[in-house]
Amino acid sequence: MVPQSAGGVVQIGWQGLALATMFVVFVGVVSIRMALGITKDLAIATVRTYAQLIALGFVLRWVFGINQAWLVVAIIVLMVLFAAQIIVKRSPDAPRGIFGGAFVAMALTGFIVTFAVTGVIVQVKPWYLPQYVIPLAGMVIGNSMTGIALAIERVYSDFDARADELLALTALGATPPEAAHGSMRDALRAGLIPTINSMAAAGIVFIPGMMSGQILAGADPVTATGYQIVVMLMVAAATALGSLVALLLTYRRRFTADGVFLEKGFRRQAH
Amino acid sequence: MGDVTALLEARDLTAILPGDAGDVRVLDGIELGVFAGEIVDVVGPSGSGKSTLLRAIARLLPGATGTLLLDGSPAEHFTPPAWRRAVALLPQKPVVVDGTVRDNLVLSWRFGVRRQQPMPDDASLAEGLARLGVDAALDRDGSRLSVGQVARIAFLRTLLGKPRVLLLDEPDAALDDASADAVAAMTAQFANAAGAVVRVRHHRPDGIASRRLRLANGSLVAEEVA
Repeated sequence: MVPQSAGGVVQIGWQGLALATMFVVFVGVVSIRMALGITKDLAIATVRTYAQLIALGFVLRWVFGINQAWLVVAIIVLMVLFAAQIIVKRSPDAPRGIFGGAFVAMALTGFIVTFAVTGVIVQVKPWYLPQYVIPLAGMVIGNSMTGIALAIERVYSDFDARADELLALTALGATPPEAAHGSMRDALRAGLIPTINSMAAAGIVFIPGMMSGQILAGADPVTATGYQIVVMLMVAAATALGSLVALLLTYRRRFTADGVFLEKGFRRQAH
Repeated sequence: MGDVTALLEARDLTAILPGDAGDVRVLDGIELGVFAGEIVDVVGPSGSGKSTLLRAIARLLPGATGTLLLDGSPAEHFTPPAWRRAVALLPQKPVVVDGTVRDNLVLSWRFGVRRQQPMPDDASLAEGLARLGVDAALDRDGSRLSVGQVARIAFLRTLLGKPRVLLLDEPDAALDDASADAVAAMTAQFANAAGAVVRVRHHRPDGIASRRLRLANGSLVAEEVA
């Protein structure tokens, strides 16, 4: 029998956390012995996990207590900002100045998809109910960020790999959208593949995160299924929409005003 | 230059490109006029800027400055794609895209700039291939072509767009003598039909050039045609 607390969740005490930490310490010892060179990263990551998640717990408790619309919106904007920052960092081949495009793409998808779920499908009242809106926004933004970053990273490395083709197409009269079409299509596909794979494997290979959480919290598995399906479909939609917007808003930066692709040799700075 | 306007004219064409040791003035105020019917060969050592010159004339060189005229009309009167339709560059590295030989030959009809232009039919595509000695069916996949076949298909593709000026960057570098002769014959035919041609070549003169210019230190100097 599983002991249950009043809220249907078994509390994890400090002993539990300590035991979990012991496992990481063990990995750290192995890492030192085998000279894996990841000991420092592992230690930092562990400390960050503690610090960030504990902070998150208290912040969410505070936000749920205040229960104000502006605060919920401000938090989503903050999440979007960080996501855009991460997208830029993950795309070393991208031109400078794509932050704006990444931000707009993340904000559009983050807000549209999140409120489509909470407002139309789940129909929470009030519309900004933080217990629903913030976790769903986190899932939509976090997951689509990965896909958008992949698409952006891919399109610029693909441009460079296809520089000869872009020149040939432009010489034949192609405009930048016509010349970039193939790379954009491949990049969109690349950004969506992880999402499609996880949709295909969901329920067979793994129990998706949100459903696991709801089941652990005592929810009926079939009820949890409904939420999970909605979230997975929405993440797919958010990734596709966000990648498309991000690519359309940024790809032109690799072309001159005359519509010529800027090959590596023509870029003045290392960007 | 007499009473006739050059079909293609470049004035004060200048390009400064980032190099390993600071910026390099690759093109230093180039002056060039090419008349209809002419074939002008540009020669010079590797790295002297011959390809850069052709790209600048096709408005395909970022940062190039100067004046370009087609039949007396300044380049600014054309959209960049419309300019490149009229002043067509065959880049040094020939490229095939995914698809068949036919897809590659009519590739540029996917672009808006050629919306009004009738697409060549299979018969004329096949005739062009035959004249160039390319023994490949129109349905052959582009990835199953030899280097020499790709070079000739890229040449034919540029010619099919019916440009007024042809800029050929080493069109016969990858070709055997017979294929190079076929490309030269079609180039001469294009010039005879009131076209103008600027070629970059490394091979020995093939006898069809009207003039030879040497590019050195960013400037063009006339050479005796052997």
